Amino acid sequence: MQKKVVAFTNLLRKSGIRVSVAEGIDAFNALDELSLDDREIFRDGLRAAMVKRGDDIAAYDELFELFWSGFYDNLRQAFDQMEGDLGGAGIDLDQLLKQLAEMMKEMDGNLDLSELAKALLTQDLSQLENMIRQAAEEAGTGRIENMLQVGFFSRRTAEQLGLEGASQELENLVERMRAMGMGDAQIQQMQELMRKLMETVRRTVRNFTERELQQQNHNYMEKFRREMLTEKSFYHLTEDEIARMREVVSRLAQRIKNILSIRKKRLKRGKLDLHQTLRRNMARGGIPFEVVYKTRRKDRPKLVILCDVSSSVANVSRFMLQFMYSLQEAFTKIRCYVFVAELGEVTSVFQDKDISTAIEKALDGGDVINVYTRSNFGYAFHEFWKNHLATIDKKTTVMILGDARNNYNDAKAWCIRDIQNKAKNLVWLNPESPSAWGFGDSVMDRYMPYCDIVEECRNLRQLSRVVDQIIL
Amino acid sequence: MFKSVQDVIEQLGEQGYICDKKIATVVFLAQQLGKPVLVEGPAGVGKTELAKVVSKALGRNMIRLQCYEGLDEAKALYEWEYSKQLLYTQILKDKVAETLAGTQTLAEAAERVGAQDSVFFSSRFIVPRPLMQAITSEKPALLLVDEVDKSDPEFEAFLLEVLSDFQITIPEIGTIVARTQPLVFLTSNDAREMSDALKRRCLHLWIDYPSEELEIRILDRKVPNIDKRLAEEVVQLMNRIRALDLKKTPSISETLDWARALLALNADELEDQIVSDTLNVILKYEGDVEKAQNELSKLIKKKTAEQAAEKPQVAPTPEATAKKGILH
Repeated sequence: MQKKVVAFTNLLRKSGIRVSVAEGIDAFNALDELSLDDREIFRDGLRAAMVKRGDDIAAYDELFELFWSGFYDNLRQAFDQMEGDLGGAGIDLDQLLKQLAEMMKEMDGNLDLSELAKALLTQDLSQLENMIRQAAEEAGTGRIENMLQVGFFSRRTAEQLGLEGASQELENLVERMRAMGMGDAQIQQMQELMRKLMETVRRTVRNFTERELQQQNHNYMEKFRREMLTEKSFYHLTEDEIARMREVVSRLAQRIKNILSIRKKRLKRGKLDLHQTLRRNMARGGIPFEVVYKTRRKDRPKLVILCDVSSSVANVSRFMLQFMYSLQEAFTKIRCYVFVAELGEVTSVFQDKDISTAIEKALDGGDVINVYTRSNFGYAFHEFWKNHLATIDKKTTVMILGDARNNYNDAKAWCIRDIQNKAKNLVWLNPESPSAWGFGDSVMDRYMPYCDIVEECRNLRQLSRVVDQIIL
Repeated sequence: MFKSVQDVIEQLGEQGYICDKKIATVVFLAQQLGKPVLVEGPAGVGKTELAKVVSKALGRNMIRLQCYEGLDEAKALYEWEYSKQLLYTQILKDKVAETLAGTQTLAEAAERVGAQDSVFFSSRFIVPRPLMQAITSEKPALLLVDEVDKSDPEFEAFLLEVLSDFQITIPEIGTIVARTQPLVFLTSNDAREMSDALKRRCLHLWIDYPSEELEIRILDRKVPNIDKRLAEEVVQLMNRIRALDLKKTPSISETLDWARALLALNADELEDQIVSDTLNVILKYEGDVEKAQNELSKLIKKKTAEQAAEKPQVAPTPEATAKKGILH
């Protein structure tokens, strides 16, 4: 049992659930206190001791099913099926086994069968399960990595199990029965039984190996994919990935928020606040037992986002918007504009709707602009300069997101220069790689001199790094 | 003392808290292993309530520490009572003079005072706060650290010592070890993920929205004079509303509030009108209410159709319901 719990713990770890040694010990202690008859209690007890995150619970439940339920049930099923097959061929398994047992009793003294053969003939499934598990361990099935190895490891397990030897023994047994004068018809039935037994064992061994593969691979893939998601370019996301990406983004935003709260605390150690100190210590006759410091407050920036929503960068815009709005507390105010050629403000959309619908709406132009035109950055910036320049003051960070592919229109870089002059800083996120900036119809090189930060922003990792720079 | 998992379910049931095996298992383990329990889950599923009923069932005194941003040692652990110390020094002035009588040098005087400083830094001058109360309590207590996620990360640090060793270190006095071991419950709404160090020391319990059957039982228990039929309807509709993509999903406490509201309005059936009138009992955001309202006709219709199929002679047709609604 202990061994099995340890194996299970290892499986959890391998699947990306963090289980410390202390937690493993807790699990053992927990099992001492609980009755193990009830599967649910067993599962919940282990979980309470080892799995501490809401996110991991689903994975845990799945792994628990995979690990603990079992292989024994599969074994049972396989043997039931065998019985059914034999029954279909007009052979009564129970009767046959009884007969066998009697014959074997007769030969008692000079019968030399291996453990495996005995387990098979007495249908001792739990013994058989143990033997298969042990054989698989010796065969190193735990190292299995992909589908192609199933055959190989099944064969090795079968070897370790001594399947060939047992098969030989069973054949010999039938021969001896023939020698003892058993009828032809019955001998045939016996042969059929032996054949079926062997076949069933082979199948269950293979089944075991496949399960092992599943366990090894489970969540491995999931984790791998999540890692990949942060690296994956926004350009090539499938629908499904976009959905999962949303979760990853919100988790990342949460993490940055946590860091922010710590940093805010650190800032609190400033000058002595004489006024407050005196007040606070009135009860002690004005003797300053408790000292109060002035808190330095870090200015939360205002944020103005100019977002290119043309189809080429829609995905990047989507996640950047989600990111920024998840971090709303970090800013005093966010104003958001979208453009392709025309420019329109969509701030109100974000105030009325919940975030995911708001983003979809904004990407669709938010009823204020036509998104089915060709990008014209110069025109959009000029519009902003004409109508919205007043929204920018010394505390504002302006964030522009776009690939600066201007379709050979006038770049109007001077608008950007004026915006930068008024703003605290100006950040440009470009989903294209720097080597492409300034080539073809890209006018990135024209805008670059007026940006405080220019970053390539093609995947989540880059995006989070930029956000980090802006708000911290 | 709980004797078994089943016993936990029964004893909590007596206190009016209906729970499943999952919750009972963890509570039982917490008692047996003497480990704190970190209870997580959406708001309003009965996390705090759990701690309350366990304290009642075990007959333990409950000490509650409500966490908030800026909670510090002085409010959670202990505080020196400066004013009392000051007062004592004033009153004992003569005694101090006596102590110092006959000293020649300043150093000597300081030495004498120093020898007495344990008088002023003793437990006499300590105001115990919840964490310290819990471990110095004569009878075993139950400590509830509520909404621990609202506290600052620093707070976790000194929570750790209390949770793992049940002791508190006060620099001036030394380490105070628990006389009796309290049962500890920490609740969290997942506003922020707790540190691994804290999680490692706790058993973890995730309370989710209850199953339909369980919720009906809870409703039955908490709102005793509710019609069984209505309870079922309420729970079913509730589950459909939870399936919507809402900003704040309603939980058990909302179900109870709603059932009570319906009772107060003498509703014996869920009708379009009454549901949409009372929707703001269960949904706390304007956007959510709007969304639910839009879906409502669908949700209710599904139900009236079911009802009609079940007992056509009683169930009103949708038109009749609508007409009734207008009359109201």
